[in-house]
Amino acid sequence: MTEKIPLDTKIDSTPELAAPSVSPSLQVRLETLRRWLVQAGALLALLLLSLYLSFATPHFLTPSNIANVARQTAVTAILAVGQTMVILSAGIDLSVAAIAGLSASVSAVLMTSQVTVLGLAIGPLPFVWGVLVALAVGMLAGFLNGLIITKGRIPDFIATLGMLGVYRGIALLVTGGLPVPSHLTATELKGYLPEALIWLGAGDILGFPVPGLIALIIVGLGWFILRYTAFGRSIYAVGGNREAARISGINIHRTKILVYTFSGLMAAIAGLVLTGRLNSANALMGEGEELRSIAATVIGGTNLFGGEGSVLGTLIGAMIMGVLGNGLNLLNVSAFWQRVIQGLVIILVVVLDQWRRRRFGS
Amino acid sequence: MKQERRLLLLMEKIDKRFPGVHALDHVDFDLYEGEVHVLLGENGAGKSTLMKILSGSLPRDSGRIFIRNHEMQEIAHMSPEHAQALGIGMVYQELSLVPTLSVAENIFLGRLPRNRFGLIDWKRVHGDAKASLNTLGIDLDTHAITGSLSVAEQQLTEIARVLASQPRILVLDEPTSALSDTERTRLFEIIRRLREKGVGIIYISHRLAEVPLIGDRVTVLRDGQKIGTFPTSEVTEDQLIQMVVGRKLTEQYPKHGVEKGEVLLRVENLSVPGKLENISFEVYAGEILGVFGLMGAGQNELARALFGLEPAYTGRIYIRERLTPIRNSEGAIRVGIGLIPRDRREGLIPMLSIPPNITLGQVSQYSPHRVLSLQKEKQVAQRYIKELRIQPPILDRPVLYLSGGNQQKVVLARWLYGDTQILVLDDPTRGIDVGAKAEVFSIMDSLSRRGIGIVFISSEMQELLAMADRILVLRRGRIASIFQRGEVDQEDLLRSAS
Ligand SMILES: Nc1ncnc2c1ncn2[C@@H]1O[C@H](COP(=O)(O)OP(=O)(O)O)[C@@H](O)[C@H]1O
Ligand SMILES: [Mg+2]
Repeated sequence: MTEKIPLDTKIDSTPELAAPSVSPSLQVRLETLRRWLVQAGALLALLLLSLYLSFATPHFLTPSNIANVARQTAVTAILAVGQTMVILSAGIDLSVAAIAGLSASVSAVLMTSQVTVLGLAIGPLPFVWGVLVALAVGMLAGFLNGLIITKGRIPDFIATLGMLGVYRGIALLVTGGLPVPSHLTATELKGYLPEALIWLGAGDILGFPVPGLIALIIVGLGWFILRYTAFGRSIYAVGGNREAARISGINIHRTKILVYTFSGLMAAIAGLVLTGRLNSANALMGEGEELRSIAATVIGGTNLFGGEGSVLGTLIGAMIMGVLGNGLNLLNVSAFWQRVIQGLVIILVVVLDQWRRRRFGS
Repeated sequence: MKQERRLLLLMEKIDKRFPGVHALDHVDFDLYEGEVHVLLGENGAGKSTLMKILSGSLPRDSGRIFIRNHEMQEIAHMSPEHAQALGIGMVYQELSLVPTLSVAENIFLGRLPRNRFGLIDWKRVHGDAKASLNTLGIDLDTHAITGSLSVAEQQLTEIARVLASQPRILVLDEPTSALSDTERTRLFEIIRRLREKGVGIIYISHRLAEVPLIGDRVTVLRDGQKIGTFPTSEVTEDQLIQMVVGRKLTEQYPKHGVEKGEVLLRVENLSVPGKLENISFEVYAGEILGVFGLMGAGQNELARALFGLEPAYTGRIYIRERLTPIRNSEGAIRVGIGLIPRDRREGLIPMLSIPPNITLGQVSQYSPHRVLSLQKEKQVAQRYIKELRIQPPILDRPVLYLSGGNQQKVVLARWLYGDTQILVLDDPTRGIDVGAKAEVFSIMDSLSRRGIGIVFISSEMQELLAMADRILVLRRGRIASIFQRGEVDQEDLLRSAS
């Protein structure tokens, strides 16, 4: 029954160190292809979209329209830099637009009127102080998000969804539901927003729109942080494998709180830029930008589940969202339909992303 | 007598690849009525994979399977349902019970007896469950929630479940890794009884000592290849060891005696509620302290506690004789402790490449705004790639694509870079191939020669006996004994652990 094998023939044949089989090299090639698709794919989509629009409407390639696109894209891009960091750390921030509205509202109220807080008369604040207040409010709101998520052990999605409501509500309370400056404040108190703030949102340098420049600087900053700082590295670690990050000594709570605080800071900057562009702040401003920032991040190739991606991709993603919105405007698609289309694009992108990941490994 | 026995199962040239591993390389296997066929091989040899292909829970890449159903017939496509219908009963190595259900529900999962109204007959469920547990000689409340049982009790429940289906071919995949000596003896009795009844039994083990106790024939697998099949009476333990390991023992386990240095780590009365009780020991510079225990005896918790992952511990930990509370991994790293976790996936950031994975243990200690030098990081990585022979030496590819052994080396490199003084290795050779194991041992040896103190947890007695200077045996969360090198054999370890 049992075959008799001479015992000593096979025993001493020392096996060689794990001979690599064929599949790893194939995997590497698939992985390279996948990365190329992610990066070049988004860029290609942007170029094709622009090419189409430049034929479909004569207005698309005019300098004034391009500047316009840059202004529109800037807000999404700034928010999306924060969002990218959050998503890289395997979180999600649904409250970015609400924080933008809140910080801009608080700062606009203080820059255009005098208010009494705890018996102290404050305002109207000069531009620099107004900006500092906005940034502080944004960071505080983001910090709170981080605190609730880490110390309160609430899922990121739920925590920021809840805080979205809280921040919008506070902004409504602060502004009384009116735009700032409103006709009321403007006529009675002669309160106008500082010129410098308007310049942030609507000005240009040598023909290039200031918001676009701000967005580029922020993308550069985000890129530097992610690539070259210990903070950036811990973001990738926490999002890539939380357990391994913990075992490597990464302070996960600190990293997450910092990430959300940074996202709040970005939201405040976006809120200021938007206020300057609209020449007024209001509690509900930027509505829908949270979804656009998530879309920009995912279109730009960041893994929706964390650990993989970059802000350079996100910039391209934001430009796609900007050009798409602008194109729909130029093609006279109604604003209502635009919302439908943008929503569908987000879903389409995530579906494509999932498919791409399934198809090309990981 | 052998001529009367009929072939029950024939597996021919079974081939299976996983990404990066040739798990089974054209393996032949057969089984007769009324015999116990031991499948022997190290962790990662492919034993479980072969059996999962037999039970239909994994598809095969190629090869043929024949099973006797009155007469031998080829089974082209195996599925778990099909396997069950053919009388194949399988006790999986990883427990496959539903932790939230009761013991009785688990035993009859998918075939709960019904009364004539079509309702579940709970009386019979519990009665029959009780009976099948009793044949195993265990007394368990059949209403108990399975997840609340000890690992050993769960394993026995799982065995009871499979026995209750009255299989003609019974596969036991490392059933004794959590069992005590008496439980093991009782299981062996049951196996002998089933063998008398003509059941064919495949018994998987990586414990050599068990082979002559229970087996009629033994098949040795190594790195996915079949080394051979022999009647157990015709091979000695030494021959089996060599076949399992595939090289001379001195090559597999390079070990140089090292002068003990100062006490690096002293643990006094360490307790983790419900897991560890009053653990005290010390580790000297240059020493390898082995830790052995049955599955679930507290080894894993010990590793975690030493690395600050069980912040609720009580007791004292001294580092170089200084009292040092360790409440998180950051703190552990700061005082020079490193951990190679039990699950390799918990050690690495899969999407990052080798350099950031190596420096992560240091980067985590920096303040967030600190700027990293990617250039220096690459040089560091190159140094360790060379020193530990990490293959392939590509700097910008995610570590996800490295083989298990090379991933393990990356985790080791992280602690080497961090000037770690005390290294806790929790089953570092699990699921890596024999060659890579030898390399891990040789790295361990050179680390201890550099004066690093090593806590080496393993489920492989062989490894511990060969590499450790002392072996600490855990039993249900307590220290059962501490042996000196050379004073013990596998039987002593098992007896002490159970
Ligand atoms: N589902 C899987 N995916 C990828 N690799 C696997 C999988 N299951 C097992 N392997 C690999 O196949 C090899 C054989 O594993 P296994 O059959 O579990 O070994 P054994 O049971 O002999 O310890 C190992 O290298 C293991 O890492
Ligand atoms: Mg196994």
